[in-house]
Amino acid sequence: MTPDTTAYMIAGFSVILIGVIGYMLSLVVRNWMINHRQRK
Amino acid sequence: MDSITKKPFPRALLVLDILAAVSLAVALWMALVYAPRELVMGDVQRVFYFHVASAWTGMLGYLLAVITSIAFLRTGKMNLDVASLAGIEIGLVFTALCVISGSIWARPIWNTWWTWDPRLTTAFIMELIYAAYLLLRRGVEDPAQRARLSAVYAIIGFITVPLTFLSIRIFRTIHPVIFGGEASVGSSNFVMSSQMLQAFLFSLFAFTLLFAAFYWHRLRLGLRQQQIEAIELQRRQDEEEE
Amino acid sequence: MTYFATIMLVFRKDLLAERRSREILSSMLVFALLSVIIFIFSFELLADLQKAAFAGTLWVSLCFAGTLGLTRSFSLERENNALAGMMLSPVDRSAIYFGKVLANWVFMLVLSVILVPVEGFFFNLNPFQWATLGIILLGTLGYALCGTFLAGITGRLRNRELYLPILLFPVIIPLLLAAIRATSAALNGGAAGEIGTWLLLMSGYDILFVAVGLLLFEAVIADA
Repeated sequence: MTPDTTAYMIAGFSVILIGVIGYMLSLVVRNWMINHRQRK
Repeated sequence: MDSITKKPFPRALLVLDILAAVSLAVALWMALVYAPRELVMGDVQRVFYFHVASAWTGMLGYLLAVITSIAFLRTGKMNLDVASLAGIEIGLVFTALCVISGSIWARPIWNTWWTWDPRLTTAFIMELIYAAYLLLRRGVEDPAQRARLSAVYAIIGFITVPLTFLSIRIFRTIHPVIFGGEASVGSSNFVMSSQMLQAFLFSLFAFTLLFAAFYWHRLRLGLRQQQIEAIELQRRQDEEEE
Repeated sequence: MTYFATIMLVFRKDLLAERRSREILSSMLVFALLSVIIFIFSFELLADLQKAAFAGTLWVSLCFAGTLGLTRSFSLERENNALAGMMLSPVDRSAIYFGKVLANWVFMLVLSVILVPVEGFFFNLNPFQWATLGIILLGTLGYALCGTFLAGITGRLRNRELYLPILLFPVIIPLLLAAIRATSAALNGGAAGEIGTWLLLMSGYDILFVAVGLLLFEAVIADA
């Protein structure tokens, strides 16, 4: 009776968690780029 | 030569990061395990906790961006420009997560990837508005002008949102879209038990901490980028004068 | 010079500039007509569907063609540096904004006056209702208000023709939706209440942008 929507649940949470971690990584990378940029 | 003073990593930020990570993990457990399974929709309903929390975080970002944009126009302090950009960037990310997760949630329940739900549709339009904001920034070279023009646009974008929502709402009321046999009015037509409510509220709390951490980090990043840009501009000016 | 006189001055200046070189208005018209034809081709040529598509075709074509006129709105000044001259006068800057809004509104109305009957001809329906007149007046005014403001923002950018549509279209959506639904209701015998609701929304939008112009236009041209 209760439909099995587990797959969609995993998809939904994965998207959000990947997004959050992805943004965090982008911050890390951008910070690193600033620290290690070669200046003329 | 690197003449930018690297500010030491503040302890408070480290504490905030850890708190945010921990509460996010707890919220995840509460959403996946602690909260009971909803009978009509099944497990996919659990996405709702993080879906709404993402929307909340996105709105926090946009709201902060509008406030700092107004403050910038009144004071001219360039720090506020960084604050606006940070808010909009975070807003874009989390609103996108909200829209995508909303679509995933809708698929098994209403058998369609997109319901013309006024809230989700408005969120999508907000994405377009603030993507345009980022593009606008890219098109202006002078930092002061860029800050001013993008602040004005951020404000305009924000104030049209209620009207956008209203217009879609009226449209849907007059022309209801029928999915799977029943009119789709909103995304959350289920009753929350107390455990669900706790999971929901804690998700909001966890995401708020997450927002604070991200925002603080993004501010630091933006301020340093601003410093570098100012230095490079000065350097270019000095070279031109020679 | 008083506030109102400044508005009229800018209004007349923009109109005259167009009258001497008719190129913008005719480009807008041609563009709009082409849009209409492309829309007609892209739908199946069934009578029922065409009637339903009239409103959308009209307003989207107006929106697209309108951007041509909007970008011109501030580029004239840049070429002649007239804006700097105007700003020497001690009048509130928003007078410049409203003058240009009036000029752009006139252009949009001229476009509508030609486009509506022509499209009615293609779609084989009679678009002349009293409600349609009100909708077109309010809709083109809202478009002029929002578009002129954004043209002010993008006017100083190198790729202004590129940025104006990107900035404009997401923000014009409530107005566009209301105009299309109202026109459709007016032509397909919708309830007066429904049309009234949409007209109210459009009025709200217009008033909002009048306020925006009054408060924020100063910031837009602060460095002209």
